[in-house]
Amino acid sequence: MAAIDLINLTKLFGFVKAVNDLTLTINDKEFVALLGPSGCGKTTTMNIISGIEQPTAGSVCFNGKDVAHVPPGRRGIGFVFQNYAIFTHMTVRANLAFGLEIRREESVTIARKVAEMAALMRLSDRLDRAAGRLNVNEMQRLAIGRSAIVRPEIFLLDEPLSNLDAAFRAEMRTELKHLQREIQQTMIYVTHDQIEAMSMADRIAVINLGVLQQYASPIEIYNNPANLFVAKFIGSPSMNLLNCRLVTDGGATKLDFGMAGRIIITDPKLLAQSRMAQRQDLVFGTRPEQLELRSDDGHASSLRMTTTFVERIGARTIVHLEHGDLALKVAEKNGYGAERGEARSIIVSQAEALLFDAENGRRVQDEGA
Amino acid sequence: MTLKTAGVCKTRVRDLAKLELISVNKRFGRTTAIDNVSLVVEDNELFCLFGPPGCGKSTILRLFLGLEAPDSGQIRIGGRDVTQLPPADRDLAMVFQNLALFPHMSARENLAFPLVSRRADPKHVSAMVAQVAETLHIGHLLDKFPAHLSGGERQRVAIGRALVRNPKAYLMDEPISALDARLREEMRVELNRLQRQLNHTFVHVTHDQEEAMAVADRLCVMRDGRVEQIGTSLELYNAPQNRYVARQLGSPPINFISGNFDVSSGVFEASEMALAAVTGKANAGRGAAWLGVRPEDLSIVRDKSAGAVSVPAAIYEVEPLGAITIVDVKIGEQILKAQLPGQPKFSEGEYVNLCFDLRKCHLFDSDTERRLATGLDAINRN
Repeated sequence: MAAIDLINLTKLFGFVKAVNDLTLTINDKEFVALLGPSGCGKTTTMNIISGIEQPTAGSVCFNGKDVAHVPPGRRGIGFVFQNYAIFTHMTVRANLAFGLEIRREESVTIARKVAEMAALMRLSDRLDRAAGRLNVNEMQRLAIGRSAIVRPEIFLLDEPLSNLDAAFRAEMRTELKHLQREIQQTMIYVTHDQIEAMSMADRIAVINLGVLQQYASPIEIYNNPANLFVAKFIGSPSMNLLNCRLVTDGGATKLDFGMAGRIIITDPKLLAQSRMAQRQDLVFGTRPEQLELRSDDGHASSLRMTTTFVERIGARTIVHLEHGDLALKVAEKNGYGAERGEARSIIVSQAEALLFDAENGRRVQDEGA
Repeated sequence: MTLKTAGVCKTRVRDLAKLELISVNKRFGRTTAIDNVSLVVEDNELFCLFGPPGCGKSTILRLFLGLEAPDSGQIRIGGRDVTQLPPADRDLAMVFQNLALFPHMSARENLAFPLVSRRADPKHVSAMVAQVAETLHIGHLLDKFPAHLSGGERQRVAIGRALVRNPKAYLMDEPISALDARLREEMRVELNRLQRQLNHTFVHVTHDQEEAMAVADRLCVMRDGRVEQIGTSLELYNAPQNRYVARQLGSPPINFISGNFDVSSGVFEASEMALAAVTGKANAGRGAAWLGVRPEDLSIVRDKSAGAVSVPAAIYEVEPLGAITIVDVKIGEQILKAQLPGQPKFSEGEYVNLCFDLRKCHLFDSDTERRLATGLDAINRN
C-alpha cells in the first residue's frame, strides 16, 4: 500500500525554480505519468520522491507520513532508467536474482521468482546468457524485470522506452501497463512522449517550467485541456490553434479569422463557450481529426486555405494548409488524395471545438463546466 | 536589406546534384557495413535512409562525403565519379546529429564559419548569414551563444551552418532525433519547407519511421548493410516487398498471423485461429505463410455481423490516444493490435469479434519473408 502526496513542493537550483509549488496526490496502485518537455522539472520531481534530491520547500508523504528523514534506500522504491543499469558481465539470471539475494531470500524462492519474472518479461530462453550480449529490447525488459522482481511499493520509471525502436516501443507500452496491473504497484512514469503517457497512465500530470498545468485522466486532458500549453502538448499531430476575434454581426455570433474567413457559431456548446469569453481576442482550438476537407465552397463553418504540403505517415495522411498567417493540419486516411497548391474548404466540427483566452491562455469554460 | 538578400536566393546557380552509389561494398574489419548497395538520389529530391541502428545508413552518408572509402564500387555526384576525390572537393554539406556547434562562438559566428574559413568576401558572408537566418527564422538569435539556445534553436543554427554554403547537396545524419517528440514534429515540417524553398538535394538519415515517411520524397529501407526497398512512403507502406519492410513502417506495427497457404487454391488458413481467406493474385508459395494485417485494417464489433470475416477475441488492453484508440485483443495466445478511430470504450476481458479488412491484408512467405500477395477475400462457404 503506497499512496504518495506531494505538498507544495519547490526545488531551486541556484536561481532556477526547477519545481514550483507542486501539489499532487498519487493513489495507491495508480499509474501516473509526469509529462512535459525537457527541463520542465519532471525528473527533479521524481528524484525528490525517491529522496535523491531534497526539496527546497514543501513535503513528500507516503501513506500520510512525511518521508523527509527517510533515506532513499529505505523508501521502498524500484527504479528503471533510460540507460538500463544492469550488470552486463552477469547472466540474465544473476541480474534478476540480484535484488532478492541482497535481501537474503531463500534460494528456492529466488529460483521461483526469477522463473516467473523471466516468463513475464519473455526472457526465459535467455536466462544463461550474459546480459551484455542481449539486444537493446531485451536489455530494457531485463532492466524492468530486475526492478519489478523485488516488488517495491513504488516503481519509478524515467523514460524507459526512449531507446527502443517504434515497433517494440508499441509492444512494451502494452506490456508495462499489463505488468502494472499484475504486480499492483504504484507506478510513476516520467516521459516527454505524450503517446506513452496517454496509452499507459491512469492519470497524467502535465508539467511545464516546474508548474503543474493539469492533472487528470488521459481522455479528460485530451478532450478538455486546461490551457494552450496542454492543448498543444497532447495529441499528435498537435491541436490546431488559430487566433481569431469574437464578433457579433446582424444578430449572429461569429469567429473572425481575417483573410481565411469567418465562422458563424451555430453549435449551442460553442455558443455557450463564447458567451463566457472575457475578451474578443481568442484562440480557436480544433483537433486535426475533427476537420473535414472539401473542394467546394460556401459552408457556414468553413475556412478557405491552400494546401502547403502533405505528410503520408502510414495509416494517416496529414494535410498542411495555410492562408496568410493562419496554418493548420487536417488528419485524413492512408491514401487520401491531396496535392500541394490545391485550394480547399475546411469544415470545422463546432461541437468539439474549444476556445482559449488569447491573453492568459486558459480555456474558456462554458456555463455547464 | 531583406529584399536584397531575398534576391540572392533566387539567383543562386547550382549544378545538377544527382548522388549515386554503384555496387558499393564496405567492410570494417570482419563486419560488412555495406553489402553491394546501388542507389540513386535524384536531383532536388529529399531522400531518406531509414533503418535500425547499425544498418549502414550513416556509413552511406560518410561514403558520399568521402569520410570513408569504399572497398569496391563507385560513387558519383552529378554524374561524375568522385570515388577517389577527397572530402573537400566533393562540395557537400553535412549536418551531424550532435550538431557540433562551436560553444565559444555566437550563432552568427557559427553560421558564418564555413564561409569565413574559405576566406569569402565579408559582404557576401553577412548577406548569406542574413538570408539563412531569415529562412530559418533565427534572426533574433544571432547574437546568442549555443549554451543559451534551446535544443530546437541549436538545431536550426546547425542546419543554417550547412545552408550558408551553396553545396551540391545537404546530408543530414539524424538531425532532429535528439529533440523532444513535439519539437520533432514541428522540425520535420520545417525541414520539408526548407527543402522546397532551397530546391536542393537532401539526403536525410533517420531511425524514426514516422519522420522518414513524413519528410521523404522517397525513402530507402535498410537492413544489415543492404537495401530492402526504395520508394515513396505510400508505396512502401501499402506494398512492402517483404515482412521486414512491412514491420519497420507503421506504429503500432503490422500484425502477423501464421498459417498455411496453398497457391493452387489460393487459400490461406491460420493454424491458431478460425480464420481462412482466399486470394487470386499470388503467383508463388505453398506451405507456411504469414498473413499481415495493419492495426487500422482491423475493427471490433460486439455482435457477429453477417458477411464480414471475423474471429472471436478477448480485450487485453486499451490505449486511448484521443484521436484514435489502440486496442490489444487476445486470440488464444496471440495478441493483435487494432487501431480504432475516436474514443470507443471496452473493458478488459470482454469478449468481442475482431473483423479483418481482407482486401488490405498481405501474405508473406515464411521462409523467404517475401510478399506473395495483397488483397484477400472471404471464402464463400455455401
